[in-house]
Amino acid sequence: MIKVDNLHKAFGNVQALNGASFSAADGQIVGLLGPNGAGKTTALRVLFGLLARDSGTVSIDGIDPATDPIAARRQMGILTDQVGLYERMTSREHLRYFGELHGMKRSEIDAGTTDVVELLGMTDIIDRRAAGFSQGQRLKVALARALLHKPRNLLLDEPTRGLDVMSTRALRRALHSLRERGCCIIMATHVMQEVTHLCDDVIVIAQGKSVAQGSPQALCAQTGISNLEDAFVSLLGTEEGIAA
Amino acid sequence: MNRFAVIWRKEVVDALRDKRSLMMLAVFVFIYPLIMWASLNNIISKSTKADRETNEVVVIGAAHAPTLMQQLKQQSITVVERDDMDEAAITALLRERKHAAVIRIPETFLAKYQELRPSPIELWSDSAADQRAKLERVQLVLRNYGNSIAQARLLAHGVSPAVLAPVPIQEYDTATSASRSGKFIGAIFGIFFVATFYFCLNLAIDTTAGERERKSLEILLAQPVKPLELIAGKWLAGALICGVGLSLELIVGHFVLTSMPLEEISLSWRLGLPSLLLLIATSIPLCLFASAFEIALAMNSKSFKEAQTAVSFALLLPLIPVIVVPMLDLNTQSWMYAIPVLAEQTLMLELAKGNSVAPLAFATTMGVSLTLALLCVGFASWKLKSERFVLGV
Repeated sequence: MIKVDNLHKAFGNVQALNGASFSAADGQIVGLLGPNGAGKTTALRVLFGLLARDSGTVSIDGIDPATDPIAARRQMGILTDQVGLYERMTSREHLRYFGELHGMKRSEIDAGTTDVVELLGMTDIIDRRAAGFSQGQRLKVALARALLHKPRNLLLDEPTRGLDVMSTRALRRALHSLRERGCCIIMATHVMQEVTHLCDDVIVIAQGKSVAQGSPQALCAQTGISNLEDAFVSLLGTEEGIAA
Repeated sequence: MNRFAVIWRKEVVDALRDKRSLMMLAVFVFIYPLIMWASLNNIISKSTKADRETNEVVVIGAAHAPTLMQQLKQQSITVVERDDMDEAAITALLRERKHAAVIRIPETFLAKYQELRPSPIELWSDSAADQRAKLERVQLVLRNYGNSIAQARLLAHGVSPAVLAPVPIQEYDTATSASRSGKFIGAIFGIFFVATFYFCLNLAIDTTAGERERKSLEILLAQPVKPLELIAGKWLAGALICGVGLSLELIVGHFVLTSMPLEEISLSWRLGLPSLLLLIATSIPLCLFASAFEIALAMNSKSFKEAQTAVSFALLLPLIPVIVVPMLDLNTQSWMYAIPVLAEQTLMLELAKGNSVAPLAFATTMGVSLTLALLCVGFASWKLKSERFVLGV
């Protein structure tokens, strides 16, 4: 369960977040939609306690990442927009490293590894070193390391980029099963198809402000437009929004 | 397992798989002992060669000065008699470098000698040829020859030869062979300790600027790990590689020095195994400092290349005490133990001389490096928390 209320964050003169408010319930996949530079990455970084907010409240299962970032991060699985892997380590070693950083026992890591390997279909790359991985293979490892410790909350920044059709489907199945387990999933994305297929709830954010929140159907109804993409543009109030 | 230990182990394993790190380690473990071996070997072979080699001079007109010829032979200088040559022929002869000098005794020598007039002898040599030691011995014989003639003549006039030498100089060299070698080997070992900064260079850059370059820093910072744990893991991984490198280098150096016939050039290496181990233990804080310093510096760079440039410039710093202080030719002073690298060098120098070193000197050496290391670690983990740093990932 993630709750964000009236979040403000400025870098010098740039107001990156200007009153963003949204919430994501357990057992739901929530899409975070917004044009480039809307403040999505900043919002996610405030959520996992890397950036301090200027004002507003944040709660991850009741924990404020500003006061206890370590406890908040334990509740979270994170996929950042940059997939950084260690070239000289195998996928399994990546999982072991990040599992240990989360304080998991060896047996838990082994069991978790078996789970995510099956979930994401990465048997072929689990014991290969990361040097030479394709974009999609890298993303799978990054996803696996976000899921390994079975987090209650998932923050995913464009989780389907670079994945082939089979892997996208595998990811969708994985997200569905996590939702059934009661996970709270927030995914920032630009792919409207993903939103329609996956998301129970959509948050639209623009210029650091949350513009609307509701199910895709509700947003379409609110704007009176049946196509989600057109509804999104209409909510932003400008054509430039999506092109910027 | 402790989180910092998790990071430490991962960085060590990662570094051991990195060919660049291992190359650096291997090169610096062997390159300095090799350089030292080569330069010492050169000096030793030269000095022993000078003893063995015959000192040959060419003499033109040897028959005019039989006593001189005898004195040359007494000093085991071989005389090769030749007929008269012109300047070009002498130059060509000296250029062959088989003879240290050509002595030309003019035909008028004997006549002038008998008339008690100055009777010059020509000494030809090629100063570009590396024959100074041999030439000096020839010059000494010539000087003594002249002096003995003067003494004989004074005696004939009833004057004591002591008049010629009113102030006889008696030379004493107080340098024991051990203290001479201390200076020499100390200078070499200063460079040994500079290598400390190169052992962990690759690891320090790869785990900071490299981590940022391959975009893995943000996700690492987003893990439930405190900045201090993160820095400490990386820092101690670097220090371990450093420590292993420096120990191997010192051990290899020790065996090179003990295996060489240093007594041939009146040097000695008086470091026993216990002293060597003590020295390695004393150098551990320097390893901690080197790793912390490079991490604190490299983490500010955006890429591996940029960090390499920044750190390379900073690595000129430890060279300053090692190069400048020996040039000043100072005696060992206590402030030297307060400067990293110079401190270890000075300690090594004292131990090589066979001197005992005060416990305070050991404490200062270790304390200063350790303090600086902790300051660097503190700075690095403070920096890791700063917003500006996070925004740069």
